[in-house]
Amino acid sequence: MQVLVFLLKRLGWMLITVWVVFTLSFFLMRAIPGGPLNGERVLSESVRAQLEQRYNLDDPLYVQYTTHLWNTMCFDFGPSYKLQDFTVNEVLAQGFPVSAALGILGMTFALLLGMTAGVVSAVRRTSIYDFSFMLLATLGIAIPSFVLASMAIVLFVFYFQIFPAAGWGELKQIVLPAMCLGAPFAGYIARLTRTGMLEVLSNDYIRTAYAKGLSTRAVILRHALRGSILPVVSYLGPACAGILTGSLVLEKIFAIPGMGSHFIEAALQRDFTLGMGALLTYTVLLYVMNTLVDLSYSFIDPRVVLE
Amino acid sequence: MRPIDKRLIKHFRRLVSKLVRKFFPLLIVLGLLGAVVWAVSMGTLPRADFVFNNGAEIKTMDPAQATGSPEGRVINALFEGLLRSMPAGEPDELGRIPMKPVARGMADRFTVNADGTVYRFHIRENARWTNGDPVTATDFAWSWMRFLHPETASEYNYQLFYVRGAEKFNTVQLAVGDKVEVELSDRQTPELFPRGTIRRGILRELILPPPAADTAGTDNQEADAADDIEAISGKAIFVVEFQNESSNTPATETIAYAVSADGSLAGIDELKQSYRGDFPLSNIQPCQHVLYDFNEVGIQVLSPQDLEVTLNSATAFFPELVAFYPLHPVHRGCVEQYGARRFTKAENIVTNGPFRLKERRIRDRIRLIKNEQYWNAAEVELASIDVMSIQSETTSLNMYLTGQLDWDTTPPNTMIPILKKRDDFVSTPFLATYFYRVNSAKPPLNHPKVRRALNLAIDKRSIVDNVVKGGQLPASSFVPPGMIGYEGYQGSGHNVELARQLLAEAGYPNGKGLPQIEILYNTADSHRDIAEVIQQDWKKNLGINVILRNLEWGSFLDSLRTGDYMVARSGWIGDYPDPNTFLDMFVTGGPNNQTNWGDAKYDHNIKMAKSEADPAARMQLFVEAEKILMEHQPIMPIYFYVSKNMVQPRIQGFHANLQDIHPLHLIKIRREGSAANDSISEDTN
Repeated sequence: MQVLVFLLKRLGWMLITVWVVFTLSFFLMRAIPGGPLNGERVLSESVRAQLEQRYNLDDPLYVQYTTHLWNTMCFDFGPSYKLQDFTVNEVLAQGFPVSAALGILGMTFALLLGMTAGVVSAVRRTSIYDFSFMLLATLGIAIPSFVLASMAIVLFVFYFQIFPAAGWGELKQIVLPAMCLGAPFAGYIARLTRTGMLEVLSNDYIRTAYAKGLSTRAVILRHALRGSILPVVSYLGPACAGILTGSLVLEKIFAIPGMGSHFIEAALQRDFTLGMGALLTYTVLLYVMNTLVDLSYSFIDPRVVLE
Repeated sequence: MRPIDKRLIKHFRRLVSKLVRKFFPLLIVLGLLGAVVWAVSMGTLPRADFVFNNGAEIKTMDPAQATGSPEGRVINALFEGLLRSMPAGEPDELGRIPMKPVARGMADRFTVNADGTVYRFHIRENARWTNGDPVTATDFAWSWMRFLHPETASEYNYQLFYVRGAEKFNTVQLAVGDKVEVELSDRQTPELFPRGTIRRGILRELILPPPAADTAGTDNQEADAADDIEAISGKAIFVVEFQNESSNTPATETIAYAVSADGSLAGIDELKQSYRGDFPLSNIQPCQHVLYDFNEVGIQVLSPQDLEVTLNSATAFFPELVAFYPLHPVHRGCVEQYGARRFTKAENIVTNGPFRLKERRIRDRIRLIKNEQYWNAAEVELASIDVMSIQSETTSLNMYLTGQLDWDTTPPNTMIPILKKRDDFVSTPFLATYFYRVNSAKPPLNHPKVRRALNLAIDKRSIVDNVVKGGQLPASSFVPPGMIGYEGYQGSGHNVELARQLLAEAGYPNGKGLPQIEILYNTADSHRDIAEVIQQDWKKNLGINVILRNLEWGSFLDSLRTGDYMVARSGWIGDYPDPNTFLDMFVTGGPNNQTNWGDAKYDHNIKMAKSEADPAARMQLFVEAEKILMEHQPIMPIYFYVSKNMVQPRIQGFHANLQDIHPLHLIKIRREGSAANDSISEDTN
């Protein structure tokens, strides 16, 4: 029951958020100079008039707003202005799985690496492992992903020639971007896990576990780890946001045809409909991810009450 | 809530959380697996025979809607016009092979009449669409009708305005007595094609709203022209007389129409009441369009194989236009069945070029495969092509250097000085000019001497040698050199003395009293570097204070269009090798003029040149026009671009040329042995 109420409440808030985002960006897009019909070659007046009519750009703004809002509510974002062979829905349907695959892989990489490093650092506190892992984590957080990507390309593409320079379609091509995308989050997760782990390790129940004669491995993996990942789980929400925005840059560097590429190009080319579609998809995605994190948090830690 | 419920919920929650805890790692593993499957299910296409970066993602594959060179590369591979631009003749001193439009396209021969106004194209018997249909003259007539139709809103439609009646058809400038075609309001879909019923008749009366009814006081010519367009698009009544063929009805029928997209006739009543003529207007009918009868346009189908095109006047470069991709035909059945957007999908599209569309992934690649139905399929060597759209120039170069690309069209400018030394860097001057627009409406730039002084004070040689460093040529004219038969007019070069003198004559000795000048450019390091040099030149040589302003591309275009600038960076790439493609830009009020400059003599020369049959005299008109342009200096040419292509050594059939056009069906791959360049190529796939 509680969960259902919680979800319904969140759904309501999500709709309001989406509407606010829609309205703000609708008017902001049109407030900046430039428009979808501008190009290096200037259109003749009659062509411009025809195109404006085709895309309803000649209607008063409030009419455009209501039509667009209504269509959006029916999940129809309309035709893309700059990819004339496609509707926005088609573009998003092609771009979203790409970004999602990249994001999930990046996140998995971050979790695996970060948690391992964090646990090792906490257990072998002040050892050389601890020191070097934490140094790496700090570097991972401090170095922007595009710098990391450039270094990775120089190293793994040109020097060692293990991975292709860019592109999408093969597993080999996902490795570098996913690693570069996950690296800063791996750093955060390592530090969070280490802190959480240290705190848990000083608890009485860990001592009890040791006293019962359990091996270090069993104590760490079965008892300590569970408690120590709570901060990591709560970090997953902002991490998802970070993964989404981080992939904007990386998609460009690695020529990946995901949502980020479409979003950036839409903004630069004033492709209003595609920009709006991508923006709303991001909004909904972030909202859903945050809700899921909140939900899972309450499952992992029974003390948390959903509101 | 009763305690029992609470306990139940607690229990339930514990159960769920237990499950979640247990399966959390499993969920992650599943997620990972799912993502991997997802990524792989994108379908790993094996590498195509030939892979190149096309730069930007193309806007559309529809020839009638496309503009730009990336679109041109794809459309030239998918479709074929009547003629094709092919390399012909010996390379010039810069290694450029001339491209000439020849009957190696859908037409296997064509003739021109003595005064150069009537072209007859004969379509080869074995020309086929990919669905097996023969390509006929009707296909071209229909495609060109679609191209010219106002509702298609083709940006390039002026390219066919040299054909008799074409401009009239497109701009709907009707007069009483014209033959017209009326599209009735009975379309099956809201889209343009298939069209509703077409009735052909004669325009007996054109009832326009009283001029300047709502724009009192602005009765200049521009306002009139705008009124006409307005009138056509919904506020006019067309009285059309039709001839009836059947014998049991009256010989003629006269109907009054009003153009209305949605079938409503609001706004017509007032007009009806103001009418004092003879025709009864009791029954006005809505219709989609009243256009000039396309049968009257100089595009006539003589037989399935023969197309006759009649021009307004001799147009020397008409074959170039016929070979230009916007005039490539589309398959009528395909367009009518699937509509304007969906007909370009890989599963729907019907094409007639050397390649066909296999797959398209947005902002990733377009996979083309050889079209076995193509009339000249025997000479097409490549079985598959990947047209990549990689935005980042650096990424693209990385992919080229590691062998993922065979041809890189966009190596970054900063790398050119290094790449220039390599054998696989193919670069020659081509038909493109980098120039600055000067807003002639903004004082002090309204003074021609100030504009000339500014131009003379720029050391273009130094910009080319020290800033852009790619082998570009400093420009003292607008039209790039190399056009056959055009000598061009050389404006004055770098001359500080003369510049100072002209500035003094204009009333600003040593730049005294001259307001600050602003240079506008779109945000890019390369443009900023050039602007900084010019800033210094003007400060050092003329004592003028210059500030720089950069705007992001979209905003930049807006400023240019609205004239909100003083001096602005620009570039222009010629569509065909004729001075007209450069010079007709700056006629008074031309949409691409954007400098607020105009000159009656210049306009006259450009207009005369359009109809001048004698090539030498025609070129002379252009030379004079360019002289005017350079003396009035509404633009300051900076340099002529060079093409920048990286082409793997194993690729053959790639020739440098004036237009930087490289037909994909002529490209061949050297078979014997692998490339000598062993360390970085070949082994990535």
